Amino acid sequence: MSKNPIVKGKLVCVALNDAEQFNAMQAEFAEAPYKGAPQQPVLYFKPHNTWSTDGAVVEWAQVDGSPAEQMVVGASLAVVFGKECCRVSETEALDYVEGYTLVHDFSLVEQNYYRPDIKGKCLDTSAPIGADVVAVADPQALTVVTSVNGTVVNETPVSQLVRGVAELISTISYIMTLQPGDVIAVGFPGQRATVAPGDKVHSVIDGVTELNNTLGQ
Amino acid sequence: MKHARVLFNGSELDVTVEDSFAETGQLKSKIDGQLINEADVTWLCPVKEPGTIFALGLNYADHAAELAFEPPKEPLVFLKGANTLTGHKQNAYRPDNIEFQHYECELVAVIGKEGKNISREDAMDYIVGYTVCNDFAIRDYLENYYRPNLRVKSRDSLCPIGPWLIDRDDVGDITNLKLTTHVNGELTQEGTTADIIFDVPFLVEYLSKIMTLKPGDMIATGTPKGLKDMQPGDTVVCEIEKVGALVTHIVSEQTFYGDKY
Repeated sequence: MSKNPIVKGKLVCVALNDAEQFNAMQAEFAEAPYKGAPQQPVLYFKPHNTWSTDGAVVEWAQVDGSPAEQMVVGASLAVVFGKECCRVSETEALDYVEGYTLVHDFSLVEQNYYRPDIKGKCLDTSAPIGADVVAVADPQALTVVTSVNGTVVNETPVSQLVRGVAELISTISYIMTLQPGDVIAVGFPGQRATVAPGDKVHSVIDGVTELNNTLGQ
Repeated sequence: MKHARVLFNGSELDVTVEDSFAETGQLKSKIDGQLINEADVTWLCPVKEPGTIFALGLNYADHAAELAFEPPKEPLVFLKGANTLTGHKQNAYRPDNIEFQHYECELVAVIGKEGKNISREDAMDYIVGYTVCNDFAIRDYLENYYRPNLRVKSRDSLCPIGPWLIDRDDVGDITNLKLTTHVNGELTQEGTTADIIFDVPFLVEYLSKIMTLKPGDMIATGTPKGLKDMQPGDTVVCEIEKVGALVTHIVSEQTFYGDKY
């Protein structure tokens, strides 16, 4: 299992942060089991067995002893913390960032968002994290582009997230103190791309960094 | 044997807790055998490098009924950040402007060796020992997304753990251990691990089918019924028979964060 040299403590991911998906799901949010749209960022952890690296092969998931029928992937801009970040305001939030990289979140197909998705999201090696941590003046100006086997499947401008980078850092820092080496993946495309064994997944933030992974068999 | 970690003279130190501790209040350094007074240390999380912290919701039949939930057909597992961990006799905070924060006294099984696809029969070989945690919840913050969400369950200091890790074989059978919680000396929660729905061997098998378990990973096995709101100034003691009694002091958000408030 690959270790990742960048993430040291926590990898916090933000779900339902794609504005297009968020708006499209309003009717569903109103129904059971949700009974209302989320009022706060919807967060989940990718635990340490999931951490992997640029260039790594991502294990094809097993479900009850058989290969999973489908897996999906989304890419996110990831914030890497350079210093302890506790209860910071939105205006000062970016001062705590060492730099930015990319995270791939490989998972089983997301069925719903009611309960923590341990089965779908905690798969070994399912969270590759980029090799570079790059300083960027305005993370809101970045766009994450993901291709599978050379075909573009998602293009997500950070500016289209429901909650932006500074707001998320501030909100999360009031829940949990972030430490150097903690990472927040700020938002994934609502439409995750379906992948098959052997597929090559490539994500890039133009001029900043890229992340390449291959699905195992 | 009981293993603890403490801060002593500014350094982290591994100690053992001998049977004489109840009388002498002395801990024994694992480095040189030096005896140290409890009064001179700060207790830390007994697991040196905490890995993934799994916690179980609604895993006692009586607690599920108390919350008006059907007992789950599959374990309700959620993850907690290591920022939540704090040691025995430390402070945990009550957030400002909330209505209901409750304790949850839980038996914690600590993983001692790496494994995947572990069978129920082999599961206990992967447990190094046990400790107690108090998996506080802020009910005001519950939302129906990844419930119980991180805002409820991953807050700084809100999972005190300890006082120590006790070796698996020193506890033996864990299927009928008494759990109690006292708030300011009053008994407020009482139960037994006999009421656990998904037991430790089941959980090790279940989780290791999904993912590799590693040393330092922990499984907090849920809490029986008996919820009560906590206020700054309260002292809460979560005790599990044969394992230990974990003491936590509740303070205000402002007291806890001090200059960072």
